[in-house]
Amino acid sequence: MSAPVSDPAAAGRAPLSRDEARGLLSEALAMSAADRTSVVLEARDESLTRFANNEIHQNVTSRQHTLTLQAIVGRRRGIASTSRLDSSALRQVADRALALARLSPEDEGLPPPAAPAEAPPLAAFVAATAGCTPEERATAVGPVTRAAAARGLNAAGALTTASTALAVADSHGLFAYHPATYANFTCTVRAPDSSGWVDRHRRDWRELDAAALGEVAIRKAELSRDPGEVAPGRYTVVLEPSAVAELVAFLAWLGLGAQSEQEGRSFLSGRMGQSITGAGVTLVDDAFDPRSFGRPFDHEGTPRRRVTLIENGTARAVVHDRRTALKAGVESTGHACPPPAVEGPIPYDLVLATGTHALEELIASTERGVLVTRFWYNRVVDARRTLITGMTRDGTFLIEEGRLTRGLRNLRFNESVLEVLARAEAFGRDAEPTQFDYVGNCVVAPALKVGEFQFTGVTRF
Amino acid sequence: MHELADRALNAAQLAGATYADARLVESRSQLVEVKNRRPSALQEGAGLGLGVRVIVDGAWGFAASAAADAVEADRCAALACRIARASARFRLQPVVLSPLAPQRASWQTPVARDPFEVSLADKIELLVRATGAMQAEPAVKVAQGALHFWEERKLFASSEGARIEQRIVHSGAGLCAYARGDDDLQWRSYPNSFGGQYEAAGWELVERLDLPGHAAETAATAAALLTAPQCAPGVTTVILDGAQMSLQIHESCGHPTELDRVLGHEANFAGTSFLTTDQLDTLRYGSAVVNLVADATAPRGLGTFAFDDEGVPAQKVDLVREGRFVGYLTSRETAPLLGQASNGTMRAESWAHIPLIRMTNINLEPGPWTLEALIGDTDDGILMATNRSWSIDDRRYNFQFGTEVGWEIRKGKRGRMLKNCTYTGITPQFWNQCDAVCDDWEIWGTPNCGKGQPSQSMRTAQGAASARFRGIQVGVGYGS
Repeated sequence: MSAPVSDPAAAGRAPLSRDEARGLLSEALAMSAADRTSVVLEARDESLTRFANNEIHQNVTSRQHTLTLQAIVGRRRGIASTSRLDSSALRQVADRALALARLSPEDEGLPPPAAPAEAPPLAAFVAATAGCTPEERATAVGPVTRAAAARGLNAAGALTTASTALAVADSHGLFAYHPATYANFTCTVRAPDSSGWVDRHRRDWRELDAAALGEVAIRKAELSRDPGEVAPGRYTVVLEPSAVAELVAFLAWLGLGAQSEQEGRSFLSGRMGQSITGAGVTLVDDAFDPRSFGRPFDHEGTPRRRVTLIENGTARAVVHDRRTALKAGVESTGHACPPPAVEGPIPYDLVLATGTHALEELIASTERGVLVTRFWYNRVVDARRTLITGMTRDGTFLIEEGRLTRGLRNLRFNESVLEVLARAEAFGRDAEPTQFDYVGNCVVAPALKVGEFQFTGVTRF
Repeated sequence: MHELADRALNAAQLAGATYADARLVESRSQLVEVKNRRPSALQEGAGLGLGVRVIVDGAWGFAASAAADAVEADRCAALACRIARASARFRLQPVVLSPLAPQRASWQTPVARDPFEVSLADKIELLVRATGAMQAEPAVKVAQGALHFWEERKLFASSEGARIEQRIVHSGAGLCAYARGDDDLQWRSYPNSFGGQYEAAGWELVERLDLPGHAAETAATAAALLTAPQCAPGVTTVILDGAQMSLQIHESCGHPTELDRVLGHEANFAGTSFLTTDQLDTLRYGSAVVNLVADATAPRGLGTFAFDDEGVPAQKVDLVREGRFVGYLTSRETAPLLGQASNGTMRAESWAHIPLIRMTNINLEPGPWTLEALIGDTDDGILMATNRSWSIDDRRYNFQFGTEVGWEIRKGKRGRMLKNCTYTGITPQFWNQCDAVCDDWEIWGTPNCGKGQPSQSMRTAQGAASARFRGIQVGVGYGS
């Protein structure tokens, strides 16, 4: 069987249908002479219209597939992948994975085959997103660039629409298939000495009102003109949802997966059941939260479970794939990464519990502080302490007597994520999803008001 | 492959393209990772795809497909032209490309021993030995080693008549030891972080690095860091080793000299640059000992090729000469805005991506000092080695770095080991505080440079040597 030649994107369909995926995976499984074989197929049609300096400057579309086959011979395993889906490529990938498995030493941690389990349904596909045309995307972003230009401002950003299909099968009867769509509008508006930003992620691109969102970025750029400067030090901050998501996302990689916990590298190692942050903090991984972009099963085909990671400030659990679950004597929670998953399982759909306050209330209750729209270029300084450094960007404001009084030059912070959460004085009631392009996970987070947030440096803009 | 490229170009021109290029890229990769003497990843990847880039009505369009066949070549060409027409509705100025004589050429990375021809058993055995040697240190809980190899065969064809074939081979190898103590986690890498050293080379790189021969020292340093004193906050002289200098150059010189950033093309994602065009030829970027070039012809660099992904020949250009900022990394679209021709820095992650301005090999020219002599010339300071943390603002101005290890320098002697070393600065101030560059020059590979929407990851390199900086704020992040 060869790849379909019709144009799914033009018809508003997933890049591969259930039947097409089943056929390809069955063909790949049939070509494998290994004792056990599993196959993961990911297909993605993605289009992105990008603008800068108030004009569309890049405009792209791509159709990509990756088929990854894991062959197991006795207790030895090999993995091979291909971007091609023709029969000769499937044959090559099956043969190569088998050859790698035969050359490999025995893998003591290899989990045994699992009985196929049916994942609950998760409606995630919107035909209008899959079928969004170049003309529709251009028409959507055009008003943003014109509005910025009319006010003497400079807009840059992108509108993305994508449709995906994930399918997993193995030689013991497993088959799981999940189509989904994703859309993102992101926009930075610049003035000579200020900038504003907005970023929204949805499954249905029609929920992204680019013109209205662009106005948010325009307003921030205008409000932060002629920025002032505050000295490095500790300030009360109001963090918008994107800024909170940037910090919380690090917890996924610093220790909420079982492998890092088992290896003693996690900030949770030796602290399970202990209070690690504020009593108001509850963090779960929930692929079925309608605001997130979760999939109902993982790359091993295991149904996703909702996992409470931190409950009222106490470390409760980490997420597992089948390998770490075997080692821990528990069941997989359905959080396997794509093979070979060298970093082990991670939580893909973090949801931080909300509070009761509107963002405006968080600002109004602040005598003197700093509003942060977003953080940028955040990196780990000290993994065990969850210490992160980064910069504010595109909308940093001074709060005085409950009002935004002026824009501020951007600030560098050095903070422990767990300590920031522990010092949260109030939680916003409205949460927004932020999908992290680089790592592929999503954080749904509210705004936070945090005391004593540590800024360690200032820049000139 | 040539027929498919020709077909795509013809289809694009029939659909109205005034310029078109087609890239057919066939790739393969191999990852061998061993953790605590057990293979944790044995993976091979293969790919083939087609990307078609066009200009219609003065605007860009691009379409790519993993099915590199005639049907998809036709579909991609037509779709790229349709996308370009949609772009043109919101284009203020038509795209103008700098002139280029079309080339017909082929080139390949010089490789002494093809890494894909070396047996997997030999690769695993090497890493089992190295990780086993690291595990001999009791404090080391995770001993990790990895080998990574990539091969790309690509055809570039343009409607201007270019037909260029290149075979690019990159190899990488390295170790990392993670040590756990009472509520502390420290690690040490060899010969660099981010998985080790990466070069445009073959198996000879792995042989030269001698991973098993460096395992014990790597593990011992990781363990020693657990009991080393904390790098205290303050202002002092800092000597950075070549590996840390590599990332310092990458972040604070490489990125801000990308002309697309300067012009605002990356304003929404990667950011812009403090090196605005009014600063060209005037800004005192660094001290007189600072000389930086972009050299796509340098041997062994991950940014080494014969032609970029627009078909422009590889070049060596000045970025900073005796401290003065004198040049940008450019493309055929951006260079004419400065009245220049492209200096050949456009690369795409794969067939599925458009080329962007990317660092080639951004090289700090070596100085006259040996590292030992420079330490001997330093009364009071810290020697910091191997990157652990890196952050810089969206104009590449305010940065903070952390290193895996440091050593006190007192009265010209290397003293106690220090842990959790960090330093911060403002880019042009920092480079103006550089008063010495050493001769221990090496071309260091960076395998994971991110840029663009959709995001692209690129392998770049920086030639670097140890260097000294005066009056640097250190220990940031660990104070009150």
